[in-house]
Amino acid sequence: MIHDWKNCDGVSRRDCLRLGLGGLVAGGLSGALRSRAQASESSEGQAVGRQADACILVWQDGGPSHYETFDPKPLAPVEIRGQYHPIQTQTPGIQFAKPMQKLAAISNELAIVRSIRHDQGNHGAGNHYMMTGAPPRIPVGCGAFVSFHPSMGSVVSQQVGAPDGIPAYFSIPNMSRSGGPNFLGSQYAPFVVPDSPNSSSFRVRDVTLPSGLTDQRFDSRQKIRDEIDTLLRYQDAAVADPAIAVDEFYEQGMQIIGSPQAQSAFDIHQEPDVIRDAYGRDSFGQRALLARRLVGAGVPFVTLYHGGWDHHTKIFESLDKKLPPFEATIAALISDLKQQGMLERTLVVVLGEFGRTPKINKDGGRDHWSNAMSVMFAGGGTRGGQVIGATDRQGYAAVERVLAPENFVSTIYRKLGIDPGQFMYTPEGRPVHLVSNATPIDELMS
Amino acid sequence: MSGCLAPRLSILFVVFASMMLTLTFVVPVRAASLAPSHPVSFELDVQPILTAHGCNSGACHGKQRGQNGFQLSLLGFDSDFDFSALAQQSRGRRVTITAPSSSLLVQKATAQMPHGGGRRIEPDSNAYHTLVDWIAQGVPRRIADEPSLDRVVLAESEFSLAPNQQAELSVIAHYSDGSSRDVTELATYLANDAAVVQADASGHLTAGPLPGETAVMVRYMNHISVANVNIPRTDPLPDGFYEERPRANFIDDLVFQKLDALEIQISPPASDAVFLRRVYTDVIGRLPTSERAKRFLESNAADKRAELVDEILNQPEYADHWANLWADLLRPNPYRVGIKAVLNYDNWIRQQFRDNVPYDQFASGLITAQGSTWRNGAVTLYRDRRSPDEIATLISQLFLGIRLECAKCHHHPFEKWSQRDFYSFAAFFAKVDRKGVGLSPPISGGEEIVFNSERGEVKHPVTGQVLDPRPLFGSVDESIENNPRQALSQWMTSTENEYFAKVHVNRIWALLMGRGLVDPVDDLRSTNPPSNPALLDALAQHFQDSGYDQKELIRLIVLSNAYATGSQPNATNKTDRLNYSRHYRQRLRAEILVDAVTAVTETSETFTALPPESRANQIWTHRVDSMFLDTFGRPNENQDPPCERISDSSVTQTLHLMNSRDIDRRIRSDSSRAARLSAAEIPATEIVDELYLATFSRQPSIEERRYAASLIEKSGDDRRNVIEDIMWAMLNSPEFILQN
Repeated sequence: MIHDWKNCDGVSRRDCLRLGLGGLVAGGLSGALRSRAQASESSEGQAVGRQADACILVWQDGGPSHYETFDPKPLAPVEIRGQYHPIQTQTPGIQFAKPMQKLAAISNELAIVRSIRHDQGNHGAGNHYMMTGAPPRIPVGCGAFVSFHPSMGSVVSQQVGAPDGIPAYFSIPNMSRSGGPNFLGSQYAPFVVPDSPNSSSFRVRDVTLPSGLTDQRFDSRQKIRDEIDTLLRYQDAAVADPAIAVDEFYEQGMQIIGSPQAQSAFDIHQEPDVIRDAYGRDSFGQRALLARRLVGAGVPFVTLYHGGWDHHTKIFESLDKKLPPFEATIAALISDLKQQGMLERTLVVVLGEFGRTPKINKDGGRDHWSNAMSVMFAGGGTRGGQVIGATDRQGYAAVERVLAPENFVSTIYRKLGIDPGQFMYTPEGRPVHLVSNATPIDELMS
Repeated sequence: MSGCLAPRLSILFVVFASMMLTLTFVVPVRAASLAPSHPVSFELDVQPILTAHGCNSGACHGKQRGQNGFQLSLLGFDSDFDFSALAQQSRGRRVTITAPSSSLLVQKATAQMPHGGGRRIEPDSNAYHTLVDWIAQGVPRRIADEPSLDRVVLAESEFSLAPNQQAELSVIAHYSDGSSRDVTELATYLANDAAVVQADASGHLTAGPLPGETAVMVRYMNHISVANVNIPRTDPLPDGFYEERPRANFIDDLVFQKLDALEIQISPPASDAVFLRRVYTDVIGRLPTSERAKRFLESNAADKRAELVDEILNQPEYADHWANLWADLLRPNPYRVGIKAVLNYDNWIRQQFRDNVPYDQFASGLITAQGSTWRNGAVTLYRDRRSPDEIATLISQLFLGIRLECAKCHHHPFEKWSQRDFYSFAAFFAKVDRKGVGLSPPISGGEEIVFNSERGEVKHPVTGQVLDPRPLFGSVDESIENNPRQALSQWMTSTENEYFAKVHVNRIWALLMGRGLVDPVDDLRSTNPPSNPALLDALAQHFQDSGYDQKELIRLIVLSNAYATGSQPNATNKTDRLNYSRHYRQRLRAEILVDAVTAVTETSETFTALPPESRANQIWTHRVDSMFLDTFGRPNENQDPPCERISDSSVTQTLHLMNSRDIDRRIRSDSSRAARLSAAEIPATEIVDELYLATFSRQPSIEERRYAASLIEKSGDDRRNVIEDIMWAMLNSPEFILQN
C-alpha cells in the first residue's frame, strides 16, 4: 500500500505536508471582500461573468495515463494502446477507456479536454504548472516542493472568500506540492483535514472547546489574552512578520470555533447512509462527500488529493484495482451534486501533473509525458457531452486545439469570476501577472 | 506541395555549393545571408543549435528514455552519444546525405513533417543552414584540426543596475586553438529570481522596479557562468553610519560591509531579554528557567552574555538539541532498519555532541563506520543506505553540500558533474559489504555487520566500465588504497576541501540567523552563490582553524552583534531577507515548543518508549506518537526519505494550542505550575513575575504586572482558575510561539 503512494523520486506524499506549507485558511470575510473588490477594479475592462461559486479539484498525484482514462487509442499498436479496450459512452462518438464505466454512463455531464500540454516532465514542476498556471521559475527536481506563485486555491481564497468562520480553501487530506499561497501569505494556505472521514470516530480535531470549559471561561481567557499579548507587530507585509500570520490564524481559529455552519459542514455523520454508500466507503469516497458538504456550506475551493498515479511499473495491475473505485466516486460526486441542485454552480475538475508515455516500458509501466494529458471538467456552467482537442492517432502529442496550463487555469478563474489577466503585487510591491496568458478555453465557457 | 519546390531547388544549390566549398574552394559562393561557409563541426556548431532550440531539454529528447525513440544526451553533454543518435542509430535514417534537407532531422525540426515538439527551427534560418550543411558535408564526427571548447566567459559578470535599467550580457566562447566566438545568441539564460531581474533568450537583462539582488545563470554547452545582478537602494545612508558601529568580531565587519554597499541600515540591538530567549532556544533548544532568566536580567556584569553562552554550551541539553537537529538529516525509519539499529544510531549521534567531538571526526566516524549495528550506531548509516550510489548521494549532500542526484542519470544540468564523476565518487563505497541479517521490514530486528570487503565494484551505467574511486576534485592519498572509505574521509575532511567546512558553517549559520548564506543550505554550487561570499569564506576558515570545533563556531556567531540585532525593521531594511540587517523572527521548532509547554506548565508530556520526564528533543524516532509534534510539523518518518520539516504556522497549530484536550488538561492539572502558584503563600505580583519569566523569559512591565496581579487579587475562590487562564493566554500569544 505504501508503495502505491510513492512517486518516482521515492518520496511518498501521503502525509508530507498535511498541515500545509504555511498552513492555513481564508482571511476574515471583510478581508476577502476587500480583495475581491480590488480584483474586480483591476480587471481590464472585461466583463467578468461568474459561472460557478465553487470548484472541487481532484488531483491525481503522479500523473494519470491519458490512454487508460479519457483518451484511448484503439488504432495504435498494442505496445502503445495497452490492455484496455475503449467503451462507448452515453454520448455518441465519445469513447473512454474500459475502466471508466460509471463516468461513461454520465458523459453527457462531462467535458474532456484531450489537448493540454506543457514542457515540465517531473512531478514538482508539473504540479507547480498545473496548480498555479505558472511554470516553475528555475528548474526543479522531481522530489522538490516548490512555490513561486500562488496556487488557484489560494487565489480563490483571497478573491472569493467564504462565509464567516469557514476556511475558503481546503486541501484534503494534504496539500499538494505547490498548492500553497506563496506571496499571498499564510492566511490563504489551505485548511488541511488529514484524518479519514471514513472512520466512525471522524471529527475535525481541535475545532471545539475542550470538555469542561465553559463559554464564559473561554471568553474570559480571550480577554486576558488581549491584554497580555503586547508583542510589537511589524505590519508592513514586506517584513513577513510571522506574528501577523499567528494573528490571522488565531482570528480564523476563533471564527471556526464560533461557527455552527463550519461545525455542521465538518459533521459527515449527518449524511444518510445511502449517500455515504454511493460515494464509496473508503477514505477517498468519504473525502469527496466531505468536499460536497464544504461547498454546500459556502467553501469556494476544495482540493481532493489522491495519490499513487505514478505508474512506472505494472500500470495495468495497479489500475485494475485503482480506477474502478476512483471513477465511481467521481461519478457519484457529480450525480449527487446534480441531485442536490449544486452542479450548475459547482465546477468539478479531475487531473494530474501530466499524461504518460505512449510506449509501455520494459517494466510494464508508462513514464512521465507532458506532451499530452486529459483533463475532465463537469458542472459550473460547463456544457457536457463534449471533447475538446485531440492527440494524434497514437496519443503522442496534443495536435488539435493545443492548449497550455495557462488556458486551463484561466478557465477556472474565469468561471469563478476572477480575472486571470489581473496584476497582483507581492508584499515587496513587485507586480506579477496572475496568469501570463489569460485566455480561457472557450468551449468550456459556453 | 508545389510551394515546396522553390526551396528544394535552392537547397540543392546549397548542397552542391557547400560540397564544392568543402572539397575545393574557399570562396563564398552562397547567398550572403546563409550560415557558415566553413566546415561544420558537430560539437561546435551542430550541438549548440540542438541545445539552443530545446531539442535536448529534459522535457524532450533529452529525457531519460528520449522521445519517440529518439534520445539525445541532456543538454548535449555527451557528444558521442548524440552523434550516434543522429548519424548512426535507426539505421542512419535521421540524416540523408544525398538529400540533406529531406533528412528526418531537418524535416522534424522545421515541422515540415509532423513533430510532437512543433517547429523548433525556422526554415532558411542560420541554424537551418548549419544543419543542412553538416549533413551535406557527410555528417562528420569531427572536422580537421577541430579545437575544443575551453572556456565560456562573460564580458561582464557583475552588474549594479538602477531599477528598471536594462543591460546586455555578452557571452564569449574560447577554444583550444586560441580562437573565440560570440555565442550570446546561442547561450541560455535563467535568472534565479525573475522578479528582481529578467533575462530573455538573447541575454538581455531588465532590472525589476525594486532594489534587490539575484544571480543569472548562463549556460553554453557544458559550461556555466554566473552573472550577479544587484539593484541597490537609491537613497544613500548617512555618512559613516557603519564606521561608528561596534563590532564584536569579523562577522560584524563583513555583515556591515555588505549592508553598507547595499545602503541598508541595520536595526538596533535586541534587549537582554530578547537575546536571552533567542540564545537559549537556538543553542540548547529550551527556555531558561524563571530563576536563571531573573539572574541574567538583573546582572550588571559587562560580560554577562559571554558568560551565559559558555554556561549553556556546557549544559546537557546542548547535546540533545543538536542531536535532534542532526537526526532530521540522518535518522532512518525503524520499521525499515530495525528498532535497535535506530536506537544505537541515535545514541551514537548524541554521544558525539556530548563529547563535542570535532566535526571532522564526526563525519569521519560516519564515512568509515564498520562493525555491528548492535555495537556501533554509526554503522546504521550503511544498513539504511545500501548501494554505493545511494550512499554517495547522501554523503556528498550532507558533508559537501554538493547535490549529485542529477548526475546519477545524466550530466548535472547546472553543474560540472558528469555521470562518470558521480559513479567514480560512488566507487569509494563499492567495497562496503555486509553480513548478518539484512532488512526485513516491518521489524528488521536482526544484527548486521558492515565491513570493508576485497570485492565490489561500481560500473558506469552506460559504458559498463568499472570505475576506480575518484574524488570530485583534487586527489586522495593513494597509499591507503586498500581502504577506500578511509581515503575518502581524509580527502573530505582535509582543510584543502573548502566545501566540507563551508556547508557546515552555512548550516549552523542558517539555524542561528534564520537563513543560510547559501540557501538551500546544502546546495553549494556556482549557480547558487552565497549572499555574502566573504563571510562564508571567513567562517569556514575560522572553523578549520579551530579544529572544526562546533561549540567555538556557535559561540563566535551568537556573540556577534549581527546575531544580537533586534527584529524591528526600518524603512531601509523591511524587504531584506538575505543580509541579516534585522533578526528574522521565526516560529519555534516543534520539539522546543512541546518542551516549553512542559516547562511552563510543570507537567510533562509522556512519550512512549522513553523514560518519564523525557524531553521532546530526546525522542529517538519520529514514530513516537505526539499529536503536538505532528501538528507543529516534525518530519514524517513514514516516508522514506522522510519529508521535510514544516517551520511555518498554521491554523491547526493555533487551534491545537487553544483547544487541545491534552494541553488543557496539563494547564488545569493538580500538579501544574498554576496549581502550585495558586497554593503558594506569595503576593500576586510574585506569581505574575514568575509566569512572565517562565513563559516569555522577561519581567512584566509595570502595567502588565499591575493588570495580571489585580486579576489574581480579585479572584477570590477562583484564584487557581484565574492563574490557569493567565497561563493559557500566555501560551496562546505570539510572544510564546515565536522567537523574536
